Amino acid sequence: MNLSLYVDAQTWVHRLDGRTKILCLLGLFALSLLFSDPVYLSGLCAGVLALVIRAQSLHNLKKIWVLLALLFVYSVVLWPFFVEGATPLFTIGGLTVMQEGVLHGMGMGLRLNAMLISGIVLLSTTSIEELGEASNRLGVPRPLGFSLSLAFRWVPNLLGSIGAVIQAQRSRGLDVQSKGVFGKIRRYPPLIVPLIGHTLRQTNLLAMALESKGFGAGQVRHPLFVSKMHGSDYAALAVIAALVMGGLWMRLNGYGTI
Amino acid sequence: MNNSLPCWSPRRWYGELRHVWRDTRLLVLSAQIAAIYASVLIPFKVGIPIIPGFVELRPANVIPIVSSLLFGPAAAWGAGIGNVIGDCFGTLGPASLFGFLGNFLYGYVPYLLWGNLGWLSSGREPVVRSWRQGMEYVIVIACASMVCAATIGWGVELLGLLPFWLLFPAIFLNNLVMATLLGPPLLLFLYPRVKQWNLYYRDLAFEAAAGPRQDPAGDRLLPASSQSAVAESVAVSIQDVTFRPIHAERSVLKHVSLVVPRGELVVLMGRSGSGKSSLCYVLNGLVPRFIQGEWTGTVMVHGQRTTQIPVWQQANCVGMVFQDFETQLVSTNVEAELRCALEAQGGTHDFTGEESFHEHVRRLLDLVGLPGLERRDPFSLSGGQRQRLVVASVLVREPPVIVMDQPLTDLDPAGRQQFLRLLAELNAKGITIIIAGHGVDDLVEADRVCVLDAGELVWQGTPRELLGQPDLAGRYGVTPYPLAECFRGRGAGNLPATVEEAWQLADTLGLSLVAPQSSEQTSNVARSEPPATVLELSNVSAHYQPGVPALSRVSVSFQAGEFVAILGQNGSGKSTLAKLCNGLLSPSEGRVLVLGSDTQQTGVLSSLVGYVFQNPDHQIFAETVRKEVAFGAENAGCSPHQCDVRVTEALQAVGLTGAEELDPFSLTKGERQRVAVASILAAKPRILIVDEPTTGLDAEESARMMNMMRALHRQGHTIIVITHEMGIVANYATRCVLMRGGTILADGPTRDVFSDPELIRSAALALPALTRFAQRWGVTLLTVEEVRKAWRTP
Repeated sequence: MNLSLYVDAQTWVHRLDGRTKILCLLGLFALSLLFSDPVYLSGLCAGVLALVIRAQSLHNLKKIWVLLALLFVYSVVLWPFFVEGATPLFTIGGLTVMQEGVLHGMGMGLRLNAMLISGIVLLSTTSIEELGEASNRLGVPRPLGFSLSLAFRWVPNLLGSIGAVIQAQRSRGLDVQSKGVFGKIRRYPPLIVPLIGHTLRQTNLLAMALESKGFGAGQVRHPLFVSKMHGSDYAALAVIAALVMGGLWMRLNGYGTI
Repeated sequence: MNNSLPCWSPRRWYGELRHVWRDTRLLVLSAQIAAIYASVLIPFKVGIPIIPGFVELRPANVIPIVSSLLFGPAAAWGAGIGNVIGDCFGTLGPASLFGFLGNFLYGYVPYLLWGNLGWLSSGREPVVRSWRQGMEYVIVIACASMVCAATIGWGVELLGLLPFWLLFPAIFLNNLVMATLLGPPLLLFLYPRVKQWNLYYRDLAFEAAAGPRQDPAGDRLLPASSQSAVAESVAVSIQDVTFRPIHAERSVLKHVSLVVPRGELVVLMGRSGSGKSSLCYVLNGLVPRFIQGEWTGTVMVHGQRTTQIPVWQQANCVGMVFQDFETQLVSTNVEAELRCALEAQGGTHDFTGEESFHEHVRRLLDLVGLPGLERRDPFSLSGGQRQRLVVASVLVREPPVIVMDQPLTDLDPAGRQQFLRLLAELNAKGITIIIAGHGVDDLVEADRVCVLDAGELVWQGTPRELLGQPDLAGRYGVTPYPLAECFRGRGAGNLPATVEEAWQLADTLGLSLVAPQSSEQTSNVARSEPPATVLELSNVSAHYQPGVPALSRVSVSFQAGEFVAILGQNGSGKSTLAKLCNGLLSPSEGRVLVLGSDTQQTGVLSSLVGYVFQNPDHQIFAETVRKEVAFGAENAGCSPHQCDVRVTEALQAVGLTGAEELDPFSLTKGERQRVAVASILAAKPRILIVDEPTTGLDAEESARMMNMMRALHRQGHTIIVITHEMGIVANYATRCVLMRGGTILADGPTRDVFSDPELIRSAALALPALTRFAQRWGVTLLTVEEVRKAWRTP
């Protein structure tokens, strides 16, 4: 079972150094946060969508398009209740919806989408090992990255185990389709306890297996080859830096807000 | 780490949070908690698109609380990382930072507060058994939920994504409700087991506070002259080793002494619990450096005392392959797996550039039979390929000694043959290999066999000597070689160790085989009237992924009272076929009828078709054997009295009468497997499907399990066994369904199917040695008794 979003391809986005990709992601997040006007954020969304296409990762986006659409709808529906405005748009059941609230909701929905799509670009073009190495070189402690990559590695196994546990309990008559909060809560222990018990039973074995392979917690590890930044990395960083600076200038001059 | 500091001391936080990164066991625990949390979160992150915590109750949120109370700071890292991993499946954004922080605190605050609330604290262990513990628990989780909700709510509002007062109450209430309802039963179940497995954080912290691990006092140093002699002539020297793990009642190794010359292939044999694995762990210092306890004796590997250096530093000298080899795979592609192993080496490699590394990888993958798979995800490989990848990841460091703990257990015959060829190649290169196993017939070319019993090294000799003494093998729980047993009492001096030797011996003794009377061969299937069909599959197909059929237009039926084996190599569709039979899977095409009812209409038919899964740990969840076995009967709607009666009957059927009040987790794997069978029997199914019932069991446990199946069959159950163990099929099943690539290759009486060696070979299986031996005379025999009856003397 392969759940990872990583796409093993050779696009120019893939070839960028892991550090470049992380820094560009942070730049895109910053750009998303600079604006609240839906028009500007639509442009940003279009930009990151183009990146997704260049990175041959459109199918990953298709996996979460329902989530993106729903987050946008939720945002548009919920924000008007929290944002005051002066331009009434329409009234439902005595409640007047303001234009500013709807626009703000649209902007926030697009902001969320732009951020999530940017994340998809990173996850589709960077393997978990590359991500760990790059984050380490950017200052994240190595054990944290190692723990993350180990956990990432085990998630598909655990999802497989969840499937096996559900089947095992269904074959003993457990009704896993039971409706209602209490029904769900009642069926939870027979499902979660074997999963946790089975996993924890392996803790000592996993630790022994790691140490036997030469992984000792706290040891200093030596990367075989240290990745280097190339011209394309500096170019990408320069472009993103220029975009952030430009965005900041626009924001300070009153552009991009409602 | 200093636990004497108060719980609010930042110095203590810093110390114990960093300590997690310095202890492999805690690091693994944090990754496991993260993986569990992420696995249960992912369906809520991407499958049910919602505003987190707002629409749907998230039971997963109980995991950080429970983990925190049991595992302390490891849970904080685990909860934080788990949430980030959940985000990595589609919702990664700046809010992930606050998600990490909020969950980190959610997994840390309960541990900090438990026992530190002054007069509000119960002063007891973190389970809810009294009202004071309950009150402390509610206060602790309320505080943790509030901190978590406030952090995430504030952060998300800071980013302008959602208002604080929308998200805060949703997260707070969800966490509080879930942890209140689900936490106490989970803690009640997990706490004693976590203590038993020596994973309770306060116990671990106590161990750590006792000081760094030092060489055990009992470890004696050899004289310098002896050391140099040892270093030059032998690979492994074990001298008078005795070891009793902490909390264990008896020693797992008793005065074991063993010398293994360089380049030898040694097999460790013995029943489960005889000390084979412990002896393997001794060889790279896991015992006593990782598994601690009372230790005396000396172990030298290539002149290096194993107790003197950390385990991870010994990986260059001793490569270890574990029985559960998947625990050793940590990367997302084959090349990264090998690279990771090298990077852990600490910079002693001599690659001049990336190309020389790639060349090294190519050579290594060629050697282990995985050419061209550099970019493959390890988990997309077959079981046999994964095991060879683990061997490659060990070989990449070029250790002179490789130790393997029961490497053949999970392999089908084809995988086993490939693995044995690899072993021979490695041994030919001069690598010393030490293997623990249950049966010796696969390893007949080994230089030496060492038999262990109750921790003592009781016998040493060549494989042929052991195979030639079936009584000795039987006494120590080693799988006897059936062909040797056939020749007992026939006046043979040396009993055979291979089929070829058996043919030669038969010629020398002038023995041949004749077909027994047909009535003798078929008496067990002869019936006066045709039995009723209980299960029928018509043109059934099944898919796990679109376009990749796991089963293609299969038609087969099963009659009442049959003992059938579904046979095939890994991935041939055996388990899929079986899961269709009780409605666990629905066919994408065709019909499955159980006693005339279509499973697509009825759903799972647990009361008619019982399915015993391969791994009993995937279903055990109750505190006692009685509750575990009663679960199936309770779900079938039985009254408490009926449940008691059924539990008694089921435990009697599996030979576990008297074990009602035992903790199922404290039993051996064979016993847990029998509990799993009993829990299915308690629902009184007419048909029993058992998936790989003998995997991981020694000869005695396997025989016990299969004899139990035979007894149930005689009581009137229809038994369907899924296996790739040909000996089991030959000895027990009257009918055999042979599968390959999702289709049925053959279906008929076992003898008929086994009479066609080409057919068996085409399914990538191998006939039992005994059957192959008999086929020289044109007869198909399945058991030792049949051969004994079929001997014809000159």
